[in-house]
Amino acid sequence: VVVVAVLLTLGTWVGEDDHFPFGPFRMYATATTPTGAVSVLAIEVRMPGGPWRPADLEPHSVGISRAELEGQFRRVVAEPERLGMLADAHARLHPDERRWEAVRLLRVGRRLVDGRPTGSEQRTVLAQWAR
Amino acid sequence: VGPVRALQRFSAWLHAPLPESRAAVFAVAVYAFLLLDVLYLHPISSYRGALDGAWYQPLLVGRILPLPVPTETVVAVSMWGSVSGALAAVALLLLHPPGRWARVAFPVLGWVTAALWFEFQVVAFSYGKVDHDRFGYLLALCVVPALGLVRLRSGRLSENAGWVLRTVQLGVIATYFYAAFAKLRFGGPEWVNSATVARAVIRRGTELAEPLLQMPWTLVATQWSIVAFELAAPLVLLVSERWRRRAVAGWYSFHAVTYAMITIAFWPHLLCLLAFLPLERLVRLRFAQVEPPPRTGPALRPRPYRSPETASGQISPAPAPVPSVPAGR
Repeated sequence: VVVVAVLLTLGTWVGEDDHFPFGPFRMYATATTPTGAVSVLAIEVRMPGGPWRPADLEPHSVGISRAELEGQFRRVVAEPERLGMLADAHARLHPDERRWEAVRLLRVGRRLVDGRPTGSEQRTVLAQWAR
Repeated sequence: VGPVRALQRFSAWLHAPLPESRAAVFAVAVYAFLLLDVLYLHPISSYRGALDGAWYQPLLVGRILPLPVPTETVVAVSMWGSVSGALAAVALLLLHPPGRWARVAFPVLGWVTAALWFEFQVVAFSYGKVDHDRFGYLLALCVVPALGLVRLRSGRLSENAGWVLRTVQLGVIATYFYAAFAKLRFGGPEWVNSATVARAVIRRGTELAEPLLQMPWTLVATQWSIVAFELAAPLVLLVSERWRRRAVAGWYSFHAVTYAMITIAFWPHLLCLLAFLPLERLVRLRFAQVEPPPRTGPALRPRPYRSPETASGQISPAPAPVPSVPAGR
């Protein structure tokens, strides 16, 4: 018990998520500035000949969740072929559905002023991949 | 001498006897929850096999131990292995088969289950996000096997039970206290006045929470209270049993409101909160339904479907001697 307590205390002081299960309990631990943008990532996909349409960014759909993709999004921007891996994962998890021909990653931002949303929404394409 | 004495007193507190049946009910809950968690609440790892290994970013533990890159096989072994282990452990606790093999099998199964569930979590958390609601439950999975194969209706108090339950309680308290600590470390003192909860509501708020966005002070007040109650969590060890249970009720209400507002529930943590409650009453209650509860009567009769040799006189004031189990501390 004492060893576990020491490890956990250390992890909380200086550790990172990497040190699971002794990392810091940091969910919702960052401070959001009351005036600024709150953004979420989303994906859109295209079937052959179809328009772009939103797709679930969830483990049951593509093997990874939105929050996780947010943790790795720089790698996606640097290597857009990673979006193709999402298409492959989707094909494996849902073999009966139509295959995705193209995938793009978007940032959807909502502005916040004094902790209150202003209602304006900004959509930016961060990366794109096509088969 | 000072630190040594403090350690001795801590150890005495940790091992002060608690009802064995409370720990046994808790153990059943822990293993039953594993099924729910792996198959329904947090099945995230089960989808990893489909995703290319390039997305896998092993955690430190996955680099120190040679844990494999998640494939469909790795996922299936950790998933179905931990599920079967938990099922078998529940069966042992409920049926309590006689014989030495069962008493050896229980802790072995328990620790194998803990290891496989841990791997399943590593698979979940090696893709960019780590949840912090699982420390206490992992701790519970690691310590419950040390309880040994005890009887649900055991009338005894035991040091093992005290150790298991208090260790889990410490895990719960650490989760709160260190969560507040992490907020101060990563968010800084201004976390309490920030828009973190507003952000959470924007991202995943329910209709109940949306109106609060127009009253930002309510969300800021929420942040102050969160930090206050998290920092105060260790105090529950100092107050009376009655106030401790009230505090636990308060924690459960906080999590219920959180769920109503942003549909986030720290399920494994909620399970661990049970370690504070007089769970032994659940099994006695079921006895009371079979026969009216005699105040000082003879030992209650076993429920009809239980074989006589596994449930005789367990609730009586002087229970039949229960074979002792080697304690793994």
